[in-house]
Amino acid sequence: MQNKDGPLADGESEAATSNPTPDFDDWAKFGDDDIMQQQTAIRAEEAEKTPFVGDKEPLSSLAAEYQSGSPILLEKIKVLGEKYAAIRRTRGDGNCFFRSFMFSYLEHILESQDRAEVDRAKSNVEQCRKTLQSLGYADFTFEDFFALFLEQLESVLQGNGTSISQEELLLRSRDQSISDYVVMFFRFVTSGEIRKRSEFFEPFIMGLTNATVEQLVFSLEVAALAAVFLKCFHFVNMFCKSSVEPMGEESDHVHITALSDALGVPIRVVYLDRSSCDSAGVSVNHHDFIPAVGGLPNASGSTETVSPFITLLYRPGHYDILYSK
Amino acid sequence: MQASRARLFKEYKEVQREKTADPDIQLACDDSNIFKWTALIKGPSETPYEGGVFQLAFAVPEQYPLQPPQVRFLTKIFHPNVHFKTGEICLDILKNAWSPAWTLQSVCRAIIALMAHPEPDSPLNCDSGNLLRSGDIRGFQSMAKMYTRLAAMPKKG
Repeated sequence: MQNKDGPLADGESEAATSNPTPDFDDWAKFGDDDIMQQQTAIRAEEAEKTPFVGDKEPLSSLAAEYQSGSPILLEKIKVLGEKYAAIRRTRGDGNCFFRSFMFSYLEHILESQDRAEVDRAKSNVEQCRKTLQSLGYADFTFEDFFALFLEQLESVLQGNGTSISQEELLLRSRDQSISDYVVMFFRFVTSGEIRKRSEFFEPFIMGLTNATVEQLVFSLEVAALAAVFLKCFHFVNMFCKSSVEPMGEESDHVHITALSDALGVPIRVVYLDRSSCDSAGVSVNHHDFIPAVGGLPNASGSTETVSPFITLLYRPGHYDILYSK
Repeated sequence: MQASRARLFKEYKEVQREKTADPDIQLACDDSNIFKWTALIKGPSETPYEGGVFQLAFAVPEQYPLQPPQVRFLTKIFHPNVHFKTGEICLDILKNAWSPAWTLQSVCRAIIALMAHPEPDSPLNCDSGNLLRSGDIRGFQSMAKMYTRLAAMPKKG
């Protein structure tokens, strides 16, 4: 027994002592660059399934998704069908809200040829530029993104040399170098608005950062760093640095409120989830984000009669575009 | 490609204009390739890196500024968040928290801040991280100071 065990045990201990070095080297080979490459590969795989902005599909394609799913959802989709005709899907890469807004807004301008709206939007964009400047952003960090958005806005108006068709708008929205730049433009605008009105947004953001202890600890770590180069840092700035400005960070009501206010564009969000509190049949909730007028904050439930021309469908974690009948 | 080149050129001009604005950072672009940069940063005072000058290498991707630059220390440094062999840096803004609002210059400032405030709970250099986590501040500081002297200070004579 001992003879048999001896060499085996020796072999084991030899393996144990010689292993750590190659193991360590193996681990050392997997640097952060490799992790980022892997993430890029995963995104590329996702990209094959859905383009940044999909084709217009009948609402029935949404029902087909839930054929064997929750009956409440199927009921709600039926209710949606009374008001809405079609859906346009966007890629679930964390930028879906901004991407949906981009396409929906530009498509609206293309169809309505509403020059007054474009002029109004442009003056809001100028205001956003001033906001970022006053917050201490160097012009060269954001000006390329602003220029590209204004170029798109100009090109959907017909009658000038560079005007484009619906097909071209779709192609551009799927072209990463254009699409991502416009998304980034919206992220800058959103961040600027939140930081400019930090007192208004702070209570909502505190709620978000308190969501989990881990997130809070993470925020505090970021804070230690941020304190060095932000003169007047607080939660709002950290939130913008970690959850608004980086690409791929998901949006929620704070982002939507800020973007709607900054650009002065009302947005309707229709909520499709499994909640139901009605005893008499299901209904589908929606919320209208109506931009602040004359510096007043975006008041939910206001009695304004402005009706949004942008309608997004929200399913927990994702936004797509909805088309009215 | 064109967009990243244009952006880098703006950063280059800004660096030339603001050369004296931040005496702790000397950022320079490769003569023949605007996607390759190096920086010399001063070790922050009241840290074991004080008195040292550390060289960083930047490799800027074509998708910049939508994607972050790759940055590593060329000068050997003993720090929990810097790989001892490769000089790779563990810093959120160089990974998932990157945004185009950052610049090569502000990345240098963030790295100096990281030198002064190590994060021992996400170590790339475990020996260094373990010293801090076990509370052996003196051990950590003497190791870090030794490597600063050996690698980051000009040899005399």
